[in-house]
Amino acid sequence: MALRYVLKRVVACVLMALAATLVVFLVAHTVPADPVLAQLGDKASANPETVARFRTRWGLDRPLWQQYAIFLAGLARGDLGESIASRRPVMDDVRQYAPATIELSTLAAFLTALVGVPLGVLAAVRRDRLADHLVRLLCLFGVSAPTFWLAFLALALFYGGLEIAPSPGRLDAGAVPPPHVTGLFLADSLLARNWATFRAALAHMILPAVVLAASTVGLVTRTTRASLLETLGQDYVRTARAKGVAEALVVRRHALRNALLPVVTLGGLAYAELLAGTVLTETIFSWPGLGRYTYQSAVALDFPAILGMTFLVAAVYLVMSLIVDLSYVVLDPRVVRR
Amino acid sequence: MRGRRVLGLLGAGLVAGWLVVAGVSPSLVPYSPRQVDVMARLKPPSAGHVFGTDALGRDVFSRVLVGSRVSLPSGFTVVLVAAVVGTLYGGCAAYGSARVEEGLMRVTDLFLSFPPLVLAMAIAAALGVGVRNTVLAMFVVWWPKYARLARGLVLGQRSLDYVEAARGLGLGGARTLLRHIVPNTVGPIVVLLALDVGNAMITFAGLSFLGLGVVPPTPEWGAMVSDGQALIDQWWVSTFPGLAIFSVVVGFNFMGDSLRDWLDPRRER
Amino acid sequence: MPTARPIPSSTRPTRFGTLLLVLLAALAGARPSPVTAAGKTTLVLGIDISDSRTFDPARQFEYSPPTTMRAAYETLVTMTPGDYVHVKPLLAKSWKLVDGGKAWQFQLREGVKFASGNPLTAEDVKFSFERLINVKDQPAEIAENIASVEVVDPLTVKLVMADKSQPLLNILSSVTFAVYDSKTVKAQGGTSGKDAEKADKATAWLDQHSAGTGPYVLTSWVRNSELVLERNKGYWRAPAAFERVVIRHSSDSAAQLLALRRGDLDAAFNLTPDQLNGLGRDASLRIVSTTSLDFLYMTVTSGAELNKALGTRAARQALAHAIDYDGIIKGLMAGQATRPATFIPVGLDGSTEALTKEIGYREDLPLAKKLLTEAGLAGGFSFKLTYAKAAIAGTSYDVVAQKIQSDLARVGITAELDPMDQTTLRTQYKEGKSQSVLTFWNPDAPEPYLWAAASIQRVAKRVRWTVPKELTDLVTRAGGEPDPAKQAGYYREYQKALVDQANYIMLVQPVFRVATSRTVSDFDLTAAGWVVDLYDVKPAE
Repeated sequence: MALRYVLKRVVACVLMALAATLVVFLVAHTVPADPVLAQLGDKASANPETVARFRTRWGLDRPLWQQYAIFLAGLARGDLGESIASRRPVMDDVRQYAPATIELSTLAAFLTALVGVPLGVLAAVRRDRLADHLVRLLCLFGVSAPTFWLAFLALALFYGGLEIAPSPGRLDAGAVPPPHVTGLFLADSLLARNWATFRAALAHMILPAVVLAASTVGLVTRTTRASLLETLGQDYVRTARAKGVAEALVVRRHALRNALLPVVTLGGLAYAELLAGTVLTETIFSWPGLGRYTYQSAVALDFPAILGMTFLVAAVYLVMSLIVDLSYVVLDPRVVRR
Repeated sequence: MRGRRVLGLLGAGLVAGWLVVAGVSPSLVPYSPRQVDVMARLKPPSAGHVFGTDALGRDVFSRVLVGSRVSLPSGFTVVLVAAVVGTLYGGCAAYGSARVEEGLMRVTDLFLSFPPLVLAMAIAAALGVGVRNTVLAMFVVWWPKYARLARGLVLGQRSLDYVEAARGLGLGGARTLLRHIVPNTVGPIVVLLALDVGNAMITFAGLSFLGLGVVPPTPEWGAMVSDGQALIDQWWVSTFPGLAIFSVVVGFNFMGDSLRDWLDPRRER
Repeated sequence: MPTARPIPSSTRPTRFGTLLLVLLAALAGARPSPVTAAGKTTLVLGIDISDSRTFDPARQFEYSPPTTMRAAYETLVTMTPGDYVHVKPLLAKSWKLVDGGKAWQFQLREGVKFASGNPLTAEDVKFSFERLINVKDQPAEIAENIASVEVVDPLTVKLVMADKSQPLLNILSSVTFAVYDSKTVKAQGGTSGKDAEKADKATAWLDQHSAGTGPYVLTSWVRNSELVLERNKGYWRAPAAFERVVIRHSSDSAAQLLALRRGDLDAAFNLTPDQLNGLGRDASLRIVSTTSLDFLYMTVTSGAELNKALGTRAARQALAHAIDYDGIIKGLMAGQATRPATFIPVGLDGSTEALTKEIGYREDLPLAKKLLTEAGLAGGFSFKLTYAKAAIAGTSYDVVAQKIQSDLARVGITAELDPMDQTTLRTQYKEGKSQSVLTFWNPDAPEPYLWAAASIQRVAKRVRWTVPKELTDLVTRAGGEPDPAKQAGYYREYQKALVDQANYIMLVQPVFRVATSRTVSDFDLTAAGWVVDLYDVKPAE
């Protein structure tokens, strides 16, 4: 029963990711731009013979449906196509830029949880007192500030003004990156036992991660607070209290676990969004990640790269929401019956 | 309680203040927002230029004030239209058969999973840069969340005891809809709306930041932050427009927050 | 509802405390000591190499790779910094016209060996050039005047031209004409036959290694990260001054500046004008500069179907006289630029700053208004100015366009700004559908004929200008003229004609500047295409 539901959802996910690519494909092709003319040098593009030759070489002379079919066929093989801008498989581009985004969003998610959950607990437990109000204000401010503005302020203040933060980028411009194993600088420098690089990579990551976290902390805090308050009002909690269980134990053992469910839901979706690449933050911090790559591909109308990234982003989002839905199936069997 | 009301009023005040500025700013500003003076470029804040000058020597203060005329309405328009369309869509879905509803909701999932940036850039490339096209692109990815919320709310209402009771008593569907369901769903939607305007403004500013949105030299806050993005030492170019965005969004969020508490039936008096 | 009692405070501070400690520890390490090699055996350059796609000379067509290519490969002839008129011998020690002026014959230098140890022969020249032509990738276009390559003897090679009235020598200085080791490249799957377009497989190897005669050898390239060159021990001149040259990619000018200041980089290539101007106070740094041969210009269509006003020559000339050129250069480019009269950059045959003053456009508002009245447009007119999101020497097109818009408004001309993505713009522009475009020209090789020909052929098509036969003949005559004085005269006439026609308005020819530390010397910039000849650079005394 549950298995059928899971299978249904997985298939739906895949179909939707594909549908997303189809829509983007169609929209991108209505654009009156010719990537061949755009990519070729000035002289080459004036020669109709050369243009025709490159059009064939890049597979752009085939009818639309064929181009899309080729994309789908490649997808089945795990091949996202070849980027016109970088002349190499989109998967290679993704492999190069993904670690940067994964590292950054994971640290941001970690910071969000580290700060958001305790703040939410604090606000719930000290409800309607000063602490609660302050937390609420902090959240509102965090959510109200545009990420790109915060990013700029952080850079201007901590790097430009106070000069305690390092320059934008994953490492200093003259620094040697750690030997490549995963592409995650923190992991790679640990593996190579290079503490100096580890500290440098972490230092470069702090500011962008904090900025990213600032926008999601508010949401996590509010949800934790609301959820905990709701749980604290439940019957079983009242029973526990009536039985004389210490308040701290009540909160920690009974209420918190259940309260965290919606937070996890939210967290999962927020993480997916972070992973999808935050263009704005990556741009300001010169972070070579997927967000910036997606933007550059969009600007260059690099069809294979755009399609590949759309599929990836949609897939990540859908997978995360699937995992979240599935966790509900496991925890609440009533969901499956409709 | 009083604290929250104060905050709500403060928020409303902020928003109202900006609305007034948006209305009258062209006559208020000390300099024309388009007045170029390259030899006076990138000057720090001073008596003559309260917010300093930008890369073309234009007065940042004047541009921030006039920028409200684009930045404010665009976010608001997106949310309003998305809310209306999304709510109708979601409401209808909730009334359809299980199959229809499933199908309609899958469509919303599709739109939700879209990378909004790619879509916005594609639309901009196809139709050209400009406020109207950016708003269109934003609308496409904005309405699903209202559809989802509306559907959830309507479904919830329909299964409530009193509705069942009313149906059992023979009261017509339309009457139930108007007298019971609608009043109970409008509340949360309006709250979401108020809180969402801020989001929409930030997203619009973000798209402007990336080169969509307004056509230069029209002042717009997101585009202005983008202009100064690389100028870390000339911080005033990006800081003040960003501050403007922040203040308006804070205003809307304070308002929305108070509204939410006021409408929450479970609140304590 | 019972009031909540406080959570014992033992758990919370620990978590916050840890977070704080982690953050502080990380920030404490925020400015770590340089991790690069001390002692000047390694030259470290900070360059934005994100546009690099390949290092195969037959396929390379981007802006940043030539610096590397010039260090690893050599050409028959080359140009020294500042002199872009006369080629100098490099792999060829002498050359002459043969076959009634239909071919150039080159005498190769003896004793030159490739990095692999194989000797340089005319066969290698033939292989390299034929591979360039037959692989038919983008750079092949600049070899179109080579009809065939013949080996006369092991040290003599003959290039037969397709059109003897068109120049060839200066073009051969481009790194596209790199001579590489045919044996090594063939062993890696390279071929120069007619089927090379599909059959050649050497590119992957050439992206990670080099097979040239140059002072350095490419040993590794990690895309968007780093590129390493090592000294070629068998180089035919004195060995290069450094054991290694490392190019570290950085797309952020602020980061480059910081790294330069701290000694992690010996040179930073991508600083903005404001950053460069602010360097004066730093005694350990120095700025080297050269006037580039690139320029930013504005095209204006002649097509009345696109814009009725612009179809009139007087209107276009009025436009040209309403722009504050000095303001753009002094204000936006911090004075670090010059301006050619028209399509041939300053520094090349026949184009000097004096000529610009004499025949080029200058800001003259009364004249502009008079021209408008003559054209029957006393009230002004409007047109669309299209441009992409790009920058020239750190100044964005956006800013220049807005300045122009503001300038033109003074005489009643309304420029509607139309920022567009690069792809759509190029399509529209190359299809001749744009009213006015702000764009950039950077040379394939320092040969004036390339500019002149382009301006009356493909670029003229884009602005819908039907070029009169006299002008076409004039340019052909100029291209084939052996006497430099006469040639300069022809080009001068050509430029006058272009200025009069007013389809191209030159705005900025930037001075290219690199910031270097004082630990290196002889960092001489060149505008010939490869920015700097790394062989020249030495550690400072």
